[in-house]
Amino acid sequence: MTRDDFIAVENFSFFYGEKQALHDIDMAIPERRVTALIGPSGCGKSTLLRNMNRMNDLIEGVRHRGDIRLNGHSLYDPKVEVISLRKRVGMVFQKYNPFAKTVYENVVFSLRVAGRNRKRELDEVVERSLRSAALWDEVKDRLHDSAFGLSGGQQQRLCIARAIANQPEILLMDEPCAALDPTATLKIESLIRELKEQFTIVIVTHNMEQATRCSDRTAFLYMGRLIEYGDTKQVFENPREEETEAYISGRFS
Amino acid sequence: MSSTPPSSPDPKRFEVSKGTLWLDRAMTQLIRVGGLAVILAVFGIFFFIVKEILPLFTSAEVEAEKVVETPGGEALVLGVDEWGEKPFLYRGDGEVVVVDMESGERQVLPVPSLEGVEVTAVAYDAVKRRVAVGLADGRVGSFLVNYETEFDDEGERTIVPVVEPEPWFEVSLGDGPVTALSYGDGGSSRMIVVSRETGLAALRLGQKRALIGKPKLTLKDTTDLGALFDAGVTSVVASQNGEAALVAGDDGEVRYFQVENGEIVLKQTFEPFEGEAPVRMDYVFGGVSVAMTDRAGEQKVFSLFRPEGSSERLFGQTKEFDEVGEGTSIFAPSLRNKSFLTGGGGKLSVRHLTSGATRWEGEAEFEPVAATIDGKSEHFFLAGGSGQIQRFHFDDPHPEAGWRAFFGKVWYEGGEEPVYQWQSTGGSDDFEPKLSLVPLIIGSLKGTFYALLFSVPVALLAAVFSAAFLPHDMKRVVKPAMEIMASLPSVVLGFLAGLWLAPLIEDKVPSILLLCLSLPVAALIVGRVWSLQPMQVRQKFEGGREWMVLVPVLLLAGWVAWSLGPVLEGIFFVYNDPATGREIADFRLWWPQATGLSFDQRNSLVVGFMMGFAVIPVIFTIAEDALSNVPKTLTAAASALGASRWQVVWSIIVPVASPGIFSALMIGFGRAVGETMIVVMATGNTPVTEWNIFSGMRTLSANIAVELPEAAPGSTHYRTLFLGALVLFMLTFILNSVAEVMRQRLREKNKLV
Repeated sequence: MTRDDFIAVENFSFFYGEKQALHDIDMAIPERRVTALIGPSGCGKSTLLRNMNRMNDLIEGVRHRGDIRLNGHSLYDPKVEVISLRKRVGMVFQKYNPFAKTVYENVVFSLRVAGRNRKRELDEVVERSLRSAALWDEVKDRLHDSAFGLSGGQQQRLCIARAIANQPEILLMDEPCAALDPTATLKIESLIRELKEQFTIVIVTHNMEQATRCSDRTAFLYMGRLIEYGDTKQVFENPREEETEAYISGRFS
Repeated sequence: MSSTPPSSPDPKRFEVSKGTLWLDRAMTQLIRVGGLAVILAVFGIFFFIVKEILPLFTSAEVEAEKVVETPGGEALVLGVDEWGEKPFLYRGDGEVVVVDMESGERQVLPVPSLEGVEVTAVAYDAVKRRVAVGLADGRVGSFLVNYETEFDDEGERTIVPVVEPEPWFEVSLGDGPVTALSYGDGGSSRMIVVSRETGLAALRLGQKRALIGKPKLTLKDTTDLGALFDAGVTSVVASQNGEAALVAGDDGEVRYFQVENGEIVLKQTFEPFEGEAPVRMDYVFGGVSVAMTDRAGEQKVFSLFRPEGSSERLFGQTKEFDEVGEGTSIFAPSLRNKSFLTGGGGKLSVRHLTSGATRWEGEAEFEPVAATIDGKSEHFFLAGGSGQIQRFHFDDPHPEAGWRAFFGKVWYEGGEEPVYQWQSTGGSDDFEPKLSLVPLIIGSLKGTFYALLFSVPVALLAAVFSAAFLPHDMKRVVKPAMEIMASLPSVVLGFLAGLWLAPLIEDKVPSILLLCLSLPVAALIVGRVWSLQPMQVRQKFEGGREWMVLVPVLLLAGWVAWSLGPVLEGIFFVYNDPATGREIADFRLWWPQATGLSFDQRNSLVVGFMMGFAVIPVIFTIAEDALSNVPKTLTAAASALGASRWQVVWSIIVPVASPGIFSALMIGFGRAVGETMIVVMATGNTPVTEWNIFSGMRTLSANIAVELPEAAPGSTHYRTLFLGALVLFMLTFILNSVAEVMRQRLREKNKLV
């Protein structure tokens, strides 16, 4: 039984200082599905994504209106500890960013900071996460080498393994393939399709085909507003809004 | 359809303008020249310093001149003028023979008072150029050989030797001819020690001031030393202050007599050589140390010092030299420093008392019976058994230098044991320079240690706070403020340290101890209490503004600690005055009593604070830059993985920034080691060799600043200061090299692609 409004964005507006980046967004993101956020640069899709684990808190002078609920609980509840929230919501960044540590230590980082240091548990987590990230076979012999020795695509998959090591409920991906070549991109995409069995995935992408290939639902944002939101198939094949059609047919980007 | 004809492209569009090329080449060359100039400048400084110190490590150079024959038999006394031009010989008869070493001319000066007497014993004092003679009839007397300089119209110098007789004195004690004597001249108090065939006497002379002419020497009293003596006398020597005498007996024992309350008393009896009496006892320049030589040629130096637990200055062995060689031994002290020429049976060696080093060794062309060194220590002379005189040109500008003198423990005159000591200049000509660099190196390291002890935690924690916690708007204020702190002139800091801080905290040590304890504890307690507060409370100060809660608590804790200081002092730091039995609560008195270490007002604590103050901005700025430059993608990734702010700092930011932090520490270290003004003004500049936090220090850099203006260029002192500079240079050089290697390793380990 999965929830259709696992992430419920309710009338959400967001401001960087005086500049309003999001205008009254309302959307419900279903559990264990891949939801793609598309839209031209500066449309607010990354801002929306980064609000789902409150990464925007790290920026100064931001404020918001409305609410985002995870599984029914408000993110902005004063009782919510941001640190534990981020343990529930993993994140993969546009540019792969492994730490200057070994492959192994990169994967178990989230466990280490949670104070979980039992070797057996860590070993299991490393294998499971790397297998989930389809990286195990490639790196199992060099778990204790620097993560920087991996190729770009491997490093990004390592970042995904790192993000899922602590088994979050949600995985946010901010243009995860932007810095990768086509082969690596295809690998990540097939990985995303596998990972949705376990995680609720929200992915920001500029790549229309990527959205069609791996997402179930697609939201089109434009100028900080949610223009259209629906099943991917419907949005791409039969968009309801004119702007959506203009965007996906490449008339502006 | 009309189409505009394609305009033909500019054929010069691929050319690079001459100006661009020329500028590019010129700048490349300019930068290359600049870089080379920097390297050259550093090497230039290095070579200059090395050039200045190299002479310190060269040994003496001696050049023999040709032998001048003076017929007339064996010389008993050989003396020379200040410039080493006209040595004189005395053979125990009624005349003095002066030889001009340039022309070989001889000049015979009769000594009127010696007409018709039989001389049986002779002694020579090179300092006063006095020949003392003892006669067969038991009388003793003396004459001076003076050299007067005259300048003719062309400015040519001529040296005219003059003999100045002195009165005779009857020795009322003992019988027979005088066998040995020694004349000790301390100006107003003089003593002649006379040994006769039977009997040993000390004559004390006094001066009577006459209305006209020279003061008249009179015999004050005669003391019978024979009563305290039951052995045959082998040699005697009176001290140069005329207050003491050493007499060696044929039983191998040496007796030390001294004037005490107007009486001559036996102070000490000691045996320098086992069973063997010294055949020579000669004072080294300065009159504190006596070189004793036995028949076999063994040589030991005994100095006056206060042994531990004794209230009197007694003789003790401080140095032992190699054997001088068998045969008639000679001895001539330098009149400039602690060097002396000695030898036996034709062997010669120049030795230096302080370092115990042999500066030069050689063989004489004839077996010398007497030797002397001129007043400038530029020549020495030997006289042979048949009246030969030979001059040696002697060049040893830095006899007191050497590895042992600079870096080893040395037993100085008057000291009870070998020590590391720096005391480069003294009040008198016969001062023995103490040139150990060890106290200065210790001082430099000590000042640096205490400065870093204070500044490293403060600066690094501040840098972490500023880079990872502080909101941007505040960081924009804090960072430039810290950088302004770095530009404070160190002379201002030194002034503040010495004249404001030192007196301020002198009697507040217990308060400071409490402060060091209470501030971190208060911070930890605040942290703990804060983490137990509900989110709603904590959110009000989120994003790096938590310090607003911490600071008032810290101020309060600081104030409480400061005011509780005297209470602590009253409980733990109570001084018990041994004289009155009163108890005084004063840390300044308690510390020396409890630990045996000293307490100075200008101490390492003050330097630690102030130099720390100078070092903090340096470390802070560089470390903060390194920490701030850690890519945001990494910190964001760590935050997204659920790391707390501190975990992000500790596991991500600090490792990545570690090479930069390491550089910051090293530059801070370099700043502290080389810092001069603050230590000059705030330490008292005592060159002590200890790590006591409540005493001062003298650093290598402060030492150069304080003493170089007063050091004569080219002198040992001057070159030793340069040696100090080289040590400082090497210290920072080696440290920086090691640091660079370590920094590269850290960077390799934490490198970002």
